[in-house]
Amino acid sequence: MIEIAVELPLAPFELRVAVRLGDGVTAIMGPSGSGKTSLLEAVAGLRPRARGRIALDGIVLLDTQSGVRLRPERRRVGYVPQGAGLFPHLTVMGNVRFAARGAGSRVRAAIESLELAPLLDRYPATLSGGEQQRVALARSLASDPRLLLLDEPLAALDVGLRERIVPYLRRVHDEWKVPVLYVTHNVGEALDLAEAVLLLRTGTVEAHGPALDLLSRPAMARAAEAGIENLRHGRIVAHDDQGGTTRVQLDDGQALAVPLSSSRLPGEAVNLAIRAEDVLLAVEPLRGLSARNIIEARIVTLDRVGPDALLRCRAASASGSEPRPWLVRITPSAVDSLGLVSGQRVWLAIKSHSVRLL
Amino acid sequence: MKPVALLILAPILFLRPPAVAADDVLVFAAASLTEVLRELGGSYEMAHADHIAFNFGASSDLARQITAGAPGDAFFSADAARMEELEQAGLVDRGERRNVLSNVLVIVVPRDAKTTISEPSDLQTLRTIALANPEAAPAGVYAKKYLGSLGLWEPLKAKVVPTLDVRAALAAVEAEHAEAGIVYATDAAISKKVRVAFRVPREQAPPIVYTLAPLARSRKPAARAFVGFLASQGAAATYERHGFIVLPAG
Amino acid sequence: MLTAADLAVVAFTLRIAALGTVLIIGPGIAVALALARYRGPGKSILETLLSLPLVLPPTAVGMLLLSVLARRGLLGRWLDAAGIQVVFTWKAVLLATMVMAFPLLVRSARTAFEEVDPRLDGLARTLGCGPTAAFFRVTLPLAWRGIVGGTVLAFARALGEFGATVMIAGNIPGRTQTLALAIFQASQVGRDDRATTLAGVTVLIAFMTLWTAEWLTRRRNRRVAT
Repeated sequence: MIEIAVELPLAPFELRVAVRLGDGVTAIMGPSGSGKTSLLEAVAGLRPRARGRIALDGIVLLDTQSGVRLRPERRRVGYVPQGAGLFPHLTVMGNVRFAARGAGSRVRAAIESLELAPLLDRYPATLSGGEQQRVALARSLASDPRLLLLDEPLAALDVGLRERIVPYLRRVHDEWKVPVLYVTHNVGEALDLAEAVLLLRTGTVEAHGPALDLLSRPAMARAAEAGIENLRHGRIVAHDDQGGTTRVQLDDGQALAVPLSSSRLPGEAVNLAIRAEDVLLAVEPLRGLSARNIIEARIVTLDRVGPDALLRCRAASASGSEPRPWLVRITPSAVDSLGLVSGQRVWLAIKSHSVRLL
Repeated sequence: MKPVALLILAPILFLRPPAVAADDVLVFAAASLTEVLRELGGSYEMAHADHIAFNFGASSDLARQITAGAPGDAFFSADAARMEELEQAGLVDRGERRNVLSNVLVIVVPRDAKTTISEPSDLQTLRTIALANPEAAPAGVYAKKYLGSLGLWEPLKAKVVPTLDVRAALAAVEAEHAEAGIVYATDAAISKKVRVAFRVPREQAPPIVYTLAPLARSRKPAARAFVGFLASQGAAATYERHGFIVLPAG
Repeated sequence: MLTAADLAVVAFTLRIAALGTVLIIGPGIAVALALARYRGPGKSILETLLSLPLVLPPTAVGMLLLSVLARRGLLGRWLDAAGIQVVFTWKAVLLATMVMAFPLLVRSARTAFEEVDPRLDGLARTLGCGPTAAFFRVTLPLAWRGIVGGTVLAFARALGEFGATVMIAGNIPGRTQTLALAIFQASQVGRDDRATTLAGVTVLIAFMTLWTAEWLTRRRNRRVAT
């Protein structure tokens, strides 16, 4: 459990945050300049003027009242800033190994997790944005942190690259069991990765709770204007050159037809993205539709996000323990005229062209 | 990183101060005495165990250095005024001063020059005249006084090229940077590139007196011994051979 | 050709310049780091003082040094009382070269430090480095090129220092005569041949110095593509 109760003067306002965060992934969102980066820096120990109390599972990093202030090098808080912040004079290996001091096994594990083996001798300047982020992540992980702070790790990357990293972020949390604080503007990422969202506004906490609960907040809605994505993982099954499609089997068993991508080999793992805005919804079984993907599902929840409605639907054929819901974004008038309610059986239609292979 | 560190540190290995040992006798002397003192110093060294080193320059500049604290053992000035200054500053004991030499001023021109100077007023036909700094260096001060006594200083003032010391003035004429110069007869004698155009009669020139004294702060007995030698009869013949006028003792 | 006396002058000049440069590296880097990192009330005064030797005529700097160190000067009187001699000895030559070379090193080193991404130091701290380790493992290697360049510049300046040197050290052959002073002296007494030879030696030394610096920075540069 992470206790944060800090005050930090920032011109023109003051950062005042008092929250208790869980051990999972917490997304920190809010308008630019609301103090998100400053909050991360204060937790990392990089802001000498921060006052208050910060504790991780009972280990006190800062307690102004009792005069405790751990120096950054003692806090074991991993920090990945915007733009990765790799050391340009060291190779990838040099960067990842920087903190490890002999803990070879952690270094190896980090390299494996982030799939950095082919890049080890390269210098940061020769890496793509996504590769740099992965190296920065590995570097932090190899230092055996108690907490991971990620500052908009995907912001500097273009959309295609972004989703390539998300699986790594997910893996980081799943495999390494480190709590993560994660600044983002992207609602899809927050919905996808985070158990809870902390909304900041001019230095104070506007709201704190599960991502879906906060969707209707203006801050979230504005962020959601950029689009919300369904991210999936699967394997290539076969190519249909005549038909112009490739068949993909998702991890949860769902089969999808995606645009023909003969460069990928059958059996190869693949990440996909489908915008919630591109999913069509029908209350009757669909016939004679050009869309190649029809998914029978049930509506789980209905929420507002800004002026729109966001539906979470569980596919009927979904298997596995935690099937990922399909996010569907439609107008409230559609919700009204179709009379949509939770639990209702629906059919989702997705054109193969709406599926992006990452 | 290592080879770089070595490169940077290597010079420290040469970390010794330079050639002249600290217990040499260091004599600050007027530039015009360069050859004669080197000879005298050399023969002194052969007869004694001490090592003599010299710092030659304009007596005014040397006096300034000594006043500022330069580590000299003796001072051989081309005029009495500089020695006076040092005495007033307590750097020289009055009782240890000796007037040793005198000299003669000459007007020199480049050896192959076509200019005909047969008397001082002819200098007015020239464009440049080299003098050791007439505001301070003894040779220049003497020259200025002399020209002034003839009423020639004002007309010639603008043509004067001041140099650091009398040897620099000589060099200027040798290199024909100046059409003529006023130096000591002893300076002209050592140069093959100038000729004497006019010799200033002693009675018309200001009194030229070379003064010698050990510096009060020097604790080296060798310094006083060498000074004694320089002022002695034994040195007189050498001075005269170089063209200096030896003053009677006292 | 070079006489033994000439070689002695060359050796003296090189030793003094090298020693002076080595002595200012540590303080120079420290001052440059301070100027690059900290903002405070005294900063602009310090910056201005440091730039003075660059802007003033060297003889003026020499004059100021002399007024402090001469027998009757502020520091000089204590030195004199203690029997320590500085002016018109090799120590004065060393001091003059250090004073004139210092600002050059600081300037280059400071720029080099300012060009290092300021976040990297903090990042190194979160990765377990104390402030000293962060400096030596991250900031210094990244500023290396500028520091080497500044050191070379300082060395070259030390080699050629004349104005301040002649003021507080004079031109005493065998004791305080550097190459620059020897060239001047030779030309003054009409020995242009000697002056030219010595000037040629200076060119050779300067060439080798700059070439070494190029080589040093090129090796580093290959790896850190900016």
